[in-house]
Amino acid sequence: MSLLEVRGLVVGYGPHPVLHEVEFDVEEGEVCVLLGLNGAGKSTTVNTIAGLLRPQSGEVRLDGRSLGRRSPSARVKQGISLCPEGRRVFPRLTVRQNLRLGAWSQRRSPRAVREQQDLVLDYFPRLVERADQLAGTLSGGEQQMLAVGRALMSRPRLLLIDEASLGLSPALATTVWEVTSRIRDGGTTVLMVEQNAGALPFADRALLMEKGTVLHTAVGEQIRNVNLREAYLGA
Amino acid sequence: MSGLGQEVGVAIVTGLLQGCVYALVALGIVLVFRASGVFNFAQAEFGTTGLFAAYAALTLWGWSYSWAIAFGLAVAVAMGLLTERLVVHPLRNASRVTVLVGTAGVALAAIGIQFWQFNETLIMTMPRIVDSFFLVPVIGAPVTVQQLITLGVLVVASLVLALFFRSPAGLTIQAAQQEPTAAELVGISVRRVSMLTWAMAALLGGLAGILSGPNLTFTAGFLSFGAGRALLPGFMAAVLAGMRSMPGAVAGGLTVGVVEQMGTLSFMIEVPGARAMLLFGFLLVVLMVKPHGIFVPRTAVAA
Ligand SMILES: Nc1ncnc2c1ncn2[C@@H]1O[C@H](COP(=O)(O)OP(=O)(O)OP(=O)(O)O)[C@@H](O)[C@H]1O
Ligand SMILES: [Mg+2]
Repeated sequence: MSLLEVRGLVVGYGPHPVLHEVEFDVEEGEVCVLLGLNGAGKSTTVNTIAGLLRPQSGEVRLDGRSLGRRSPSARVKQGISLCPEGRRVFPRLTVRQNLRLGAWSQRRSPRAVREQQDLVLDYFPRLVERADQLAGTLSGGEQQMLAVGRALMSRPRLLLIDEASLGLSPALATTVWEVTSRIRDGGTTVLMVEQNAGALPFADRALLMEKGTVLHTAVGEQIRNVNLREAYLGA
Repeated sequence: MSGLGQEVGVAIVTGLLQGCVYALVALGIVLVFRASGVFNFAQAEFGTTGLFAAYAALTLWGWSYSWAIAFGLAVAVAMGLLTERLVVHPLRNASRVTVLVGTAGVALAAIGIQFWQFNETLIMTMPRIVDSFFLVPVIGAPVTVQQLITLGVLVVASLVLALFFRSPAGLTIQAAQQEPTAAELVGISVRRVSMLTWAMAALLGGLAGILSGPNLTFTAGFLSFGAGRALLPGFMAAVLAGMRSMPGAVAGGLTVGVVEQMGTLSFMIEVPGARAMLLFGFLLVVLMVKPHGIFVPRTAVAA
């Protein structure tokens, strides 16, 4: 059984769905990249997994159990955390306060929260220097690190990251992707949305999404062998 | 001391004490505005409604004073929660003006209910918690123990709010306002945060009403437009605080109280509407010089 199972997901914002029976699995302990062009439906997919959107039909299962119509807060408690598109840090709170709120669902276990914060700051040392700065005054890259860090503070089993590389320099994007490997090794499964095929070398599994469906899945060596780039651009 | 000097001294003391009521109202206004961006015109009526409930419990039903206060505050909080559920929440995607009109509607409805429920006695009075007063040495300003209690309540409320906003629970209010989606994603219930802030604002309004009512006679709409009118001064204080700062709301309330009281000095007494003119003149000048308000922390201006 996979950690995450997405089955026959149909989601829309009006009468016409933008996801047409999306299906895929994510195994525990891997970094999975969901790749697709603008408007492919990547954000719609992860937002539905996080509970921000309700599917018209289909379901999302964690450990084989359907999440039904649970709210985002309920899903955080179950171990699904989303770092949303556009970062959405709390701009007039400090870096430290942003992180602290990321652990809101874990507030009953302060010791675990402290340990997790140390871990997050270890992943993103830049945030240590900026701890008392207002999040809104951070650079774009720092805000992205904070957003990922905040999502990690709930100690999720599955971390969803929506386009971390957007607006970052190639070097900074690579830094963020490299951290996903460390996050995985720390025991958190990662599903990251990307338009940028540069994320592929960091993936254990790649899903290619187009026009609201998952076209291809590649695992391990296949990612290098199958010419995703061509499929991606030429399909 | 004698003459003008003493008169000014008395006006300052009286103004500061009246300003405590304005500060309580202003704190509620700022709290709600910060959390949900709503100009709450019902803030003062939370107070009158609480006052009427306490009055009914104390003088009509013969409850003890403490239970009457508790009941009045409970009614005020219930009104705040109802306002949030029935008006503010359903209008959350409407424009600010629409919500403002909605809260004004709540105030008018409350005043209507007060008239309807208490039409036997048009003018009501309620005993003070402690019925005594003294003169401030040297200045000679009369101060009731009731006013001192109000001052004490303001101090305690400010401290509690300051501590609360530094606590994790207080942070959730700011987070929910700054990025509601991200707040939901970390497990904060934006809906519960909204209800919490309205309950707290209504509690502050209730305190203002129940504590200031016994100083005067009161009628429906007492704290909004009646003898105890504190809505407009409360809004002015909130504006001085840039609609954001809690300590600013307290400083603003006290300032507004003192400025207004200067209109009662003997050489002003001949000028019709001197108090209101002074107040509006003061606010106008302040806003021309410092449009973001004067009692504002630097980070709040940047926001
Ligand atoms: N709030 C919305 N209301 C209406 N339509 C929407 C909304 N959000 C997304 N869509 C539509 O749904 C489709 C998929 O959008 P989605 O944001 O999931 O794409 P994406 O793959 O994340 O794209 P991008 O890489 O640009 O972020 C698009 O056609 C978009 O126009
Ligand atoms: Mg997107």
